[in-house]
Parts: sequence; C-alpha cells; structure tokens
Amino acid sequence: MAAPCGGAVGRPLCQFLSCLSRTAVRYTWRRQFSATSLCRTTLQTQRVTEREGSPWTLMAAVCLQRLPVISADCHPVEQRFRELTRQMELEKSLFSDHELRLLEDAERMNRKQTGSYDSDEEDDNRGQDIVLAQDLEDSWEQKLKKFQPAPRVKADVDEDLTSVERCLADSLVLLAEQQVGSEKLWLLPQAEWQEGDTLRQTAERALASLPAAGFSATFLSNAPCGVYKYKLPKAARTDSLVGTKVFFFKAVLSAMSPSAASNAPLMWLKKSEMQRFVKPAYTMKVERFILDP
Amino acid sequence: MNFVFRKLQASFTQQAFVFSQTLPVCRAAPSVQCPTWGAAFVNERQHHSMPTHEIGRWKHLMKKRVQKKKKDRFQMKPIVASTDSAYGTLNVQVSGYDMALVEHYTQYIHNLCNRLGINVGLCYALPTKTMEVMLMQEKGTKMYVDAVLKTHERVVQLRSLDTMLCPILMDVVLKNQPEGVKLSVKEFTEEDFKGRFKERPEMRELMSQINY
Repeated sequence: MAAPCGGAVGRPLCQFLSCLSRTAVRYTWRRQFSATSLCRTTLQTQRVTEREGSPWTLMAAVCLQRLPVISADCHPVEQRFRELTRQMELEKSLFSDHELRLLEDAERMNRKQTGSYDSDEEDDNRGQDIVLAQDLEDSWEQKLKKFQPAPRVKADVDEDLTSVERCLADSLVLLAEQQVGSEKLWLLPQAEWQEGDTLRQTAERALASLPAAGFSATFLSNAPCGVYKYKLPKAARTDSLVGTKVFFFKAVLSAMSPSAASNAPLMWLKKSEMQRFVKPAYTMKVERFILDP
Repeated sequence: MNFVFRKLQASFTQQAFVFSQTLPVCRAAPSVQCPTWGAAFVNERQHHSMPTHEIGRWKHLMKKRVQKKKKDRFQMKPIVASTDSAYGTLNVQVSGYDMALVEHYTQYIHNLCNRLGINVGLCYALPTKTMEVMLMQEKGTKMYVDAVLKTHERVVQLRSLDTMLCPILMDVVLKNQPEGVKLSVKEFTEEDFKGRFKERPEMRELMSQINY
C-alpha cells in the first residue's frame, strides 16, 4: 500500500530506459518528433537504417487492470491501533450541537418532574419544541437499520476466475489465451505492430480484438511500461527473424458492458495467481511493472 | 557577544541538528574542502580555535530565497507548455464529502510527487460547496432538510510530468484512492485560475462603462 520509494522506482526506471534506448521504441514517438536536440537527430538517422534490417518483430500488449473497489481489510495491528486512536479522539473531543441539545432536553425533563417548575422561566423557547432531540435520534436509528450494505466478500464469486467482480479488495489483471507460434499460451492480450501505427494504437487494437470485447479502458500513458524479449529457438531463427519484442502498456478498466461472453478464454487474475498460468520467464518481466497494493 | 554565540550553538547541538554531524568533516580545512559553502564566511572565523565552533550553522546551506512580494500571489505563474516527452502544467483535483480523507489523500499525492522528483507548483484548496438534501414530508407538501453535505476540494498542481513517470504515478495514485474520494487529472488553463477569484460586479460595470 505504501508508495515505492525513490530508489526502488529509480532502479527499474533507469534499467527500463537503457533497454528502451537499445530497442526500437523510437517508433512510438515518431509522430510527435520535433528533433530539437542533437541526440534526437542522430536517433532519427539511425532509425532509418535500422528499420530496414531489424530482425525483431514488434508487438504491443495491454496490461488491463481492474482497480480495487473496496479498501483492503486491515491487519490486526492496524485494527487495534485504529480502535485506540478512535477511543483517544472520542475522549478528547467536545460535544456537538446535537449532543448538547440531548443533554439540555434531559435536564429539562428532570426539572419538569419536580413540583416547582414554571415554564415561563425558561430562557430560550426550547420548551415549546414538539420534537425532542431524542426522538430525532430514534428516527435516525430506524433509518439506519433499514439500510443493508452489500457483502464485502462473496466466496463463490471469488473462486470464478473469469468474473470481473472477484476479489474486490485487490487489483486484477486481464489475461487472454492466445495462439503464439504453435501453442496456446496465457498472456497479456497482444497484437503485432504494423507500419503506420504507433505502439499505443497497436495496444488499443489488441484490446479491441479480444473475442469478448466490451471493455472500455483508459490508457495511462503513451509510453510503454515494460518490455519482454523473446528469442526464437535456434532452429527457427533466420537472418531476418531473431525473435519478438513485446511492449506493454498500462490501462485501467473504466466500464464493462454486460454482454461479454462468459466462455471466452479470458481470466482476471491477481498478481500472486499469475505464476500458475503464465510461463516463468514472462512472469518475471511482467511482474516488475504490476503494482500490488 | 561571543559568549552569547556559544550559548546559541550549545542549544543547537542539544536539538541534535543534522548538520552538526557533517560540519566537523569540512571544518578541518574549511577553505579547501567546502568552497561552495561560503568559504569567505568560514575563512573569516578561522581564528576561532574551539573545536565545537560553528556547530549548528545551517542557514548558509540553504539556497537564497528571494522575498516574494504579496502582489505576486495574484499573478499566475506561466503555464508550462507540453513537449514531446512531458506533459505541461496539470491539475490533480481531489474532491469528496469527508474532509479528513480528502486532506490526507492530497498530502499523500504531494509527498509521492516529491519523492518521485516531480515538480509540484502549487497546492491549494477550492471553496467548500454546501449541498442541502431536502426531502418531502410523508403527509404534507412541505420540504424539510434531511442532510447537509459539504463537498471539499483540493488541487495539487504539477509543473511538468514526464511521460515515463506518468503511468507509474497514475497507477500508484489510483490504487491507493480511498472510498468516497473522486480524483481527476486535467490540464491547467487560465479559466481555472480566474475561477478562483470572487466576482467583482461593480468593477465589471465600471469597465463596461469605460469601454462603452
């Protein structure tokens, strides 16, 4: 839940930046290039020569996350501390207007019971009030009892890996089963980059091309957040094809249409559950940019 | 005067000032080892031979701050334009009904930006909006006040946000958003700045008369 400290963010950031400078991410910024500084112009000339002979296929994948809906349950220590601070605040606090009114009414009732009570002696005209503060409080209590909050944890929905509403306290990542080469693998939805597209548009296309489309997502940035490099086995390598590079983009789920088919090969998984379904080399790279609150 | 000075230094050391640990390192050869720390000042005092001299001196370490005139507050600082790799001036608006949650969340975002090295320009509050929820009485036509809701709003203004840092910041901020608090990130415009000032109807009339 705590924010990553500067050092921890800086380290993967500079590693990521160094790996970016080697790979062809210049394509993402091609549209917005203004070539103002010297280093950018040299990159441009390099790009022209490299593109013709690059042995890597580029793909863009989208890391679609469903953010947590409710706050996570507190640790036992946190609960005890919360109770302690609440008790201390209560003891140090002053009475509110409503509580003062309650006390005054109670005191007035006591005075009315005694024989020598003269209602004309009251300083303020509170005695003529029909509705006492206690009655108000009782009516509020009744209203509260009528309100039923939804249950925080539903065990059966949690078990269903394809449901978006599982594990409301955690953030979930969308995984799709896609054909890669000759086998079907569970990975983040990806699509191949084509000429004329920016990488982010490729990622948006990857999301839209899923069989159970109906996700409306907000992409967090134009810059990718991670990269995965896959070299083909030696037998399949040729001069012009060494492997693939997959760039990941982060997106946040904003709405989901209910018409999504339930038998589509999609899963919503927590970060800790990903190891069961995804290859270890892939998980290692992907886990680096998925934050677990 | 010197006696007074030494007493002040003693009180500083009692407070366990951080600089007191670093000063002895450079005090050995002050004119050589710490030229950036105002060597001129240090050299002037070299005739003081007491080892604890200048412990607790810290003002020379801070950058010189230009005294802001009060009028500057009402002038808008120039809006940073967005470049290829960085967004311009952004307003992160946090609003909600619970003041404690809104305040704490704003402080969290501010601290996070400081730690990530994002330049934070301003952090201000917009006036509280009060909403009265009126319900119809069950038997009758009169409306009575059921609840009073106050919407609090805080704004953190970021000078420029690097595109690389943007998904990281947004991810962390969104995942730690408390329940009941709304977050929105927008570009900062002149209208936002002008909207913070109160209306001056007489001024407006006079200006229209002049221009007429």
